[in-house]
Amino acid sequence: MALTGRAGLLAALGALVVLVAPDPPMAVLGLALLLAALVLLDLLFAGSVRGLRFQRDGERLVRLGESVTVGLVVENPGRRRVRGVVRDAWPPSAGAAPRHLRVDVPPGQRRRLVTTLTPTRRGDREAVTVTVRSLGPLGLAARQGSHLVPWSVRVLPPFLSRKHLPAKLARLRELDGRHPALVRGQGTEFDSLREYVVGDDVRSIDWRASARRSDVVVRTWRPERDRRVLIVLDTGRTSAGRVGVAPQPGQASGQAFGWPRLDWSMDAALLLAALAARAGDRVDFLAYDRTVRAWLSGASRTDLLSSLVNAMAPIEAELVEADSPGMVAAVLARARRRCLVVLLTDLNAAAMEEGLLPVLPRLSSRHTVLVAAVADPRVAAMASERDTAEQVYDAAAAERLRGERRRITARLRGQGVEVVDALPEDIAPALADAYLALKAAGRL
Amino acid sequence: MSTVTAPSSVSTSPTAKGMWRSGRGILLVALLVLATALVPVLLSSPGTEDRRLDPGDSSDVGAQALAELLGRRGVTVVRVESVFALLAAAGPDSQLLITDTGFLTDYDARRIAGSGRDRLIVGAVRHLDILAKGVLAKEHVRARSREPRCDLRQAARAGSAYLGGASFTAPAGSTGCYPAAGRPTLVRYALDGGTVTVAGDGSFMTNLRLAEDGNAALAMNLAGARPRLIWLATPKAGDSGLAGPEGRSLGDFIPAGVGWAIVQLAVAVGVVALWRGRRLGPVVAERLPVVVRASETVEGRGRLYRARRARDRAALALRGAAIDRLAPRLGLPPTASPEEVVAAAAARTGRDAPEVRSALYGPAPVDDGALVALAGYLDTLERQVRDS
Repeated sequence: MALTGRAGLLAALGALVVLVAPDPPMAVLGLALLLAALVLLDLLFAGSVRGLRFQRDGERLVRLGESVTVGLVVENPGRRRVRGVVRDAWPPSAGAAPRHLRVDVPPGQRRRLVTTLTPTRRGDREAVTVTVRSLGPLGLAARQGSHLVPWSVRVLPPFLSRKHLPAKLARLRELDGRHPALVRGQGTEFDSLREYVVGDDVRSIDWRASARRSDVVVRTWRPERDRRVLIVLDTGRTSAGRVGVAPQPGQASGQAFGWPRLDWSMDAALLLAALAARAGDRVDFLAYDRTVRAWLSGASRTDLLSSLVNAMAPIEAELVEADSPGMVAAVLARARRRCLVVLLTDLNAAAMEEGLLPVLPRLSSRHTVLVAAVADPRVAAMASERDTAEQVYDAAAAERLRGERRRITARLRGQGVEVVDALPEDIAPALADAYLALKAAGRL
Repeated sequence: MSTVTAPSSVSTSPTAKGMWRSGRGILLVALLVLATALVPVLLSSPGTEDRRLDPGDSSDVGAQALAELLGRRGVTVVRVESVFALLAAAGPDSQLLITDTGFLTDYDARRIAGSGRDRLIVGAVRHLDILAKGVLAKEHVRARSREPRCDLRQAARAGSAYLGGASFTAPAGSTGCYPAAGRPTLVRYALDGGTVTVAGDGSFMTNLRLAEDGNAALAMNLAGARPRLIWLATPKAGDSGLAGPEGRSLGDFIPAGVGWAIVQLAVAVGVVALWRGRRLGPVVAERLPVVVRASETVEGRGRLYRARRARDRAALALRGAAIDRLAPRLGLPPTASPEEVVAAAAARTGRDAPEVRSALYGPAPVDDGALVALAGYLDTLERQVRDS
């Protein structure tokens, strides 16, 4: 049950009555009894809340930064009209609006209410409860009750770097030899033989085949296809650190604190996956900290991206040190054939030296390894500000960190591992470029 | 509604039966607490509040016995509760008995003193300077049975009595009795045409002590000196002493309805509190991800350098970074020796080799100024190498 402002107003107006009443104590008592009687009457004649039936419909998926509507159908099987307010409660980060919905359902009918969700972070958002406050005919008191109407909306990573996809696909077509500007594709896999036409690179003439025929024949090449790319996402503690500026609008706190490395890494992974799928490679995905957080394998090229964002959506950074030997073992167990292992992690000197570097040879001996890390623009800014003593000390600390990253990068490259270390906004295109370079060099 | 695919809803509100089940234990405990609180109150006699030295009080601290005795001796005892009533009742043949001056204002005390009637003040020290001019209360002494040791007739006849409380300095021409440590605890003297009697303690008049020693005799002698005794009793708590000249306080001018209207407003406030206090559904908790800037460790290290004035380490980090960036630009391998780097940088920029060497490989700066200067020099050197 709940009272309304009208009941409070009535009680306050009662004070005026008491002021002029001949017997004030009795007036107070009488008013209290009258109010109680009216409230009881109202409660008695209010529409039943318990009997209401709810159903939901609407969207299940939304990209971060976009809005989605979820419908709530209220059915009133009771004999009395249900009039009042409904609160469809969602977690705060689901960004549900409006907070309260007016509802007026005559007996035996149903009404559809619409809640708009504008989530402010990635992950699964579960509806909490639906609370109905059903007012009585006098509007003095209301029945109140809650219902569980389960529904969940999965907030997908926004894939902001898809704006880079057309440019990278154009680069891919150049490799493929389909681009008119290039006569001979830079691919490394033998495709077929065809007749020489003027303008072909003479180096690509296949003399043996030309000798068999009476014509000059050139070999055509195409980029290698059907290679395997395994994207490994480190979800350990280093991925929780926030860098850069959160790109999606309408998230005040996120703007100030940036976006977790994990989200930038996901963005880069999505661009790489989209590119690799177009290039005809097979993409697998593994998220790992101390256990396997997500594993996606064998997705077809057409629904790879949707499967990938679905797999990524619920992943959160865990505040534990990543278990690098375990991760390498998990990769080795899953990737039987030679593949490109793209490891999205942080070039944290302490974590790397203790964890990844000792076990990396086991991985790099069987697979091509590419390590991609998101650099912190704040560190670069600190390193370049050198006006006062305080800033110089900060710059020294920043330079020290960058020196450590350079050292780790050098050691990784020394082991034959490709390294991409770029700022948050650049990591996705940089990773795509590194992939294309590997593909062009035929190193997959 | 073909789009509806979700399972139907489940009510989570407690039912009346469930509420009774979960709440009956608490209800039982609450009832038990209420019962244990109420039973002793109900069983105890409807005893009145103890009013010290009140002629209508029959408890140990009251003085009903004395009032009865005085009545039998033909003294009319008039009990009043306000100064207005006191002065209205006082006539030429009356004596005022004041047992408590704590509730009197200065104005009240002055009006009593100004009436010039005989007055007997027992066990009170407040406003004594007005009511009994010239008598000064000195130190506190223990009340016990004392000898009169004076020639005041009423005291000498009564003999030993239970007195004490305060001892006084008596003005000239007064009689002091029942001395304690050389000072009297009962003083009687004439003032402005009336007789003023001050006793340090009123216990000898109480129902408890009246039968002891010569207490009754002393009390009768002092209080029964005139045919009428106007007895100023302590007003009941709640009656403010702010009686106006007409005997009406400010509260008397406010209609009775106002107080009850305020009660009604309090009810309204309660109703409004219930209205605003009822939440529409539960508070929703959410497990939020940790919010921590990745650069925090770097900033922390910077603050540590600053706090410890670690110029050597700071300079080392800056120089190392500068050399790492210079070496490839100068066409040197990362393994190049310091001499090679210095020579190449000096040759490229046209600076003196010793100067470049001291910047890149010199000793740690001696103060913060030198550190800032070093950082500036390294910046300039890098820029010149880059732009050359």
